[in-house]
Amino acid sequence: MLKLIVCIKQVPMVSELNWDPRTGTLKRDLAEGMMNPACHHALEAALRLKDLHGGHITAITMGPPMAEEVLREAMAIGADRCILLTDKRLAGADTFMTSFILARAIEKECSNFDIILCGCHTSDSETAQVGPQLAEELKIPGAAYVEWLELKENILRMKRLSDNFLETMEMDLPGLVTVTTSHYQPRYVPLSGIQDAYDKCDIITLDADDLKLNIIGTKDSPTRILKVYSPCSEKKNIEMKGPAKKIAEELLDKFGRKIGGAIKKDLKAYEQEK
Amino acid sequence: MNFNPCLKHKTVRKTVSKFVETELGPIAHEIDQNARFPVEVVEKMRALNFFGLQVPRKYGGAEMDSISYAIVIEEISRVCAAMGLCITVHNSVGTNPIAQFGTKEQKEKFLPPLASGEIIGAFCLTEANAGSDAGGVETTAVEDGDDYVINGTKIFVTNGGICGSALIFAITDSENQRSTSSVLIAEKNTPGFFVGEIEDLCGMRANPVSSLFFEDCRVPKSNLLGRKGDGLKIGLSTLDSGRIGIAAQALGIAQAAFDDALKYSKERQQFKKPLSNFQTIQNYLADMATEIDAARLLLYRACVFKDSGKAFGAEAAMAKLYCSTLASRVTGLAVQIHGGYGYSKEYDVERYFRDAKVTEIYEGTSEVQRMVIARSLLSKPT
Amino acid sequence: MKKKAQTAKVKDIWVFGDYRNYFQTRVTLQLLSRAGDLAAKTGASVCAVIFGHNLDEYVSEYIAHGAHKVYVIEHNSLKKYSMEIYISLMERLAREYEPDIILVGATTFGREFAPRIAKRLGTGLTADCVGLDIDDQGILVQTAPAFGGNLLAEIITPEKRPQMATVRPGMFQEIPHDYERKGEVIKLPLPKDLPKERLRIVQYQRKPHRGQRIEEADVVVCGGRGMGGKNRFKKLFELARLLGGEVGATRPVVYSDWADPELLVGQAGKHINPDVLFSFGVSGAIQHTAAIRDAGLIIAVNKNPNATMMKKADVAIVADTNQLCMALIKELKKRIRS
Repeated sequence: MLKLIVCIKQVPMVSELNWDPRTGTLKRDLAEGMMNPACHHALEAALRLKDLHGGHITAITMGPPMAEEVLREAMAIGADRCILLTDKRLAGADTFMTSFILARAIEKECSNFDIILCGCHTSDSETAQVGPQLAEELKIPGAAYVEWLELKENILRMKRLSDNFLETMEMDLPGLVTVTTSHYQPRYVPLSGIQDAYDKCDIITLDADDLKLNIIGTKDSPTRILKVYSPCSEKKNIEMKGPAKKIAEELLDKFGRKIGGAIKKDLKAYEQEK
Repeated sequence: MNFNPCLKHKTVRKTVSKFVETELGPIAHEIDQNARFPVEVVEKMRALNFFGLQVPRKYGGAEMDSISYAIVIEEISRVCAAMGLCITVHNSVGTNPIAQFGTKEQKEKFLPPLASGEIIGAFCLTEANAGSDAGGVETTAVEDGDDYVINGTKIFVTNGGICGSALIFAITDSENQRSTSSVLIAEKNTPGFFVGEIEDLCGMRANPVSSLFFEDCRVPKSNLLGRKGDGLKIGLSTLDSGRIGIAAQALGIAQAAFDDALKYSKERQQFKKPLSNFQTIQNYLADMATEIDAARLLLYRACVFKDSGKAFGAEAAMAKLYCSTLASRVTGLAVQIHGGYGYSKEYDVERYFRDAKVTEIYEGTSEVQRMVIARSLLSKPT
Repeated sequence: MKKKAQTAKVKDIWVFGDYRNYFQTRVTLQLLSRAGDLAAKTGASVCAVIFGHNLDEYVSEYIAHGAHKVYVIEHNSLKKYSMEIYISLMERLAREYEPDIILVGATTFGREFAPRIAKRLGTGLTADCVGLDIDDQGILVQTAPAFGGNLLAEIITPEKRPQMATVRPGMFQEIPHDYERKGEVIKLPLPKDLPKERLRIVQYQRKPHRGQRIEEADVVVCGGRGMGGKNRFKKLFELARLLGGEVGATRPVVYSDWADPELLVGQAGKHINPDVLFSFGVSGAIQHTAAIRDAGLIIAVNKNPNATMMKKADVAIVADTNQLCMALIKELKKRIRS
């Protein structure tokens, strides 16, 4: 039976955020959470593999207790089993530590997997590192930014666009892929699925002790955040009003050089000729 | 008493919100402008149980609790009130009466296609001479052999233009008009069942509201819902539940208007300051937010009472009364805050304003709601 | 690699040679330049590391652009980038020569390559940096964006070595080449005991250049719902053509079928970084603005002065979008002809 694991992250829903200037970490519990878009696509890719080949999907997430919500959502559209790794001590773990912790949990709960699917990056930290580092930690082959995948006789065939190169690859299983948002549009969640996910299903909750880990996320991560700040975007914001013809002329007079850059023309020249 | 939504309700809200914002959001303006019912979105809604929200699982429904139901209707209505109307009428008055009062055979026959959305349901009560006065109904259903023969005209039927089945409220005993009415299930393709022209309405324009004409329309006796003479009982009970849906719909419209007004007041500048700096506008926003919160709590109380089996008629009436009055008030204020732009179709607030008004009228006018509440108050022992 | 940072002296700063898109992606040269600045503060050497086949040209370019040393592993079998082999090679080199800092361009390859190296070497890595600096303790201060660029974070790897970062292309300027510069070229053999590849490239071709992609365009003309209709939206193509740019669209436009989904500029579509961005009738939803945050000069046109996009623009033009589009086309045609 095909055994799939999908790593999901819950990310804040809004771009207005609150962070703790002392630790440089996000006050995650203040913002509403949602499933990271790329993780949703990874889950969809897993569901399609399951639709085609049959099998079993375990969804796993690491986060505060409210991250349970994304696991319920995963179950509502077809994940079979869900694991929540939650422990205050693990908060603030960087990608190195996160991949380490995820690997231990996978080894404990679902070590007999065929494919791990992750989102290519998250909409909050955007590092795109956990997937590849998880593959390393588990000592399995991995491919990132995969756009399309197909399973044939225990070999995973994948396609991706990497730096202007269209690559078709083959990977021996067990292996890991990170999935982009270009394909695998996530299916909508049926309302009956939500009911079942909350009323009928159990989530396996693990903390650091269950994984026999003696880790403090902020201290044991190799990287440390010194500070977090909003970049000052000082847009001068010039407003222009009036008849269209006049604005067009004024715009090209003022910014002609910059606008003309691409066509290698100085669009201010006309003014001088006049 | 926990005032925080549980995770399940949060997930329901986010799920529905994502769906409607993606599928209905981009077309809400156009379908209102052109009075077009969006069949393409309905197709997608079917697979997600939107048409069987509270129908039992064994008939293909999602069997949701009433707060989840209210959340679904609120979120749909926030983006497109006309579709929120379609879904709530189909569910609460077009389908649930069968689930509640139907025989085993009727449930097995009618609930699956309704729950899957293969057939959209409607409820026919109002007539030219019978609006608030339900007892003034003149449509007749006369026994003839194994059938009832229905004659009459029902007006302002929500979903009328696209319904596959309808629950008809008709007089079944003409000697004693006021006391024997019954509810019959009529299917669209029955000879004698005609759909009239779609109404040209101020709001809810994407919903195909129409008249339904019955000319010697024969329905089998097995389509009688409940017993002969149960009409009033079924009708009133159905409307109690329907009120929760309409309250949720009105709440969704109010929320949409408030969200837009809040956003606009932060962006729009006059006298070199954003509108939200002015105390008058702040007062408006504060009042709107407070009333919307109060409305939501009233609504959820009615939901909880209903699910726990308590009598909930007065509470549902309070919720419907308050939410619909609030919707008109909030949408009016939202247009005001938007100023001239609010009156233009370039912004959505004028649609919310037009959509809100009817929530004070249908499924029992605000005046009727007050009657229901007063009756409940006065019947309580002191 | 568990060496503690001893003194302020940083020994070697390595830059990975990502050369397969050499003419478009100059990130290796940009990193050599920045590494040079950091090296100057600390007396370190700048070393490029390159694996592949037929590398002489790139090696001399790297030296001409600031590398003091270049480590080269050249072999027939390394004709195309092979993730697993490159990781093995880099790991071995890093363990042997113990650089203090390794910088990798944040290309698609680099963003997968670097984390795996960091994991093998047991060290920290910061992704997609937009700034790099070095303090007097020899600590690399890495500035990286988060939340679609709405936040910046300063990150360090205080103890583990090497300190690693992937750097966004275009953040630093390459130094002008100097072919008189001298550098040391260290050619190393391909090890014989490399692991068998579990990830194999079956097909590998450069993407046919169908004109420029919107992500690379210097000028982009974006249109939103405010354009009013499909035919009006089409006018933007003429404007873009005159400016040698590309057309982008917002989600409502794609949903209303006024433009192909490929033109979608947004979180779920393409991210762009043109020097000049025209934004016609765009309201400015977060999903769209996140994808244009790296644009240079933003000119927004909208009938509504209060649209969010107008606040984010450098120039906010309050006008009818169609009238202005046509006036601009007319005026451009006049000026270009002259």
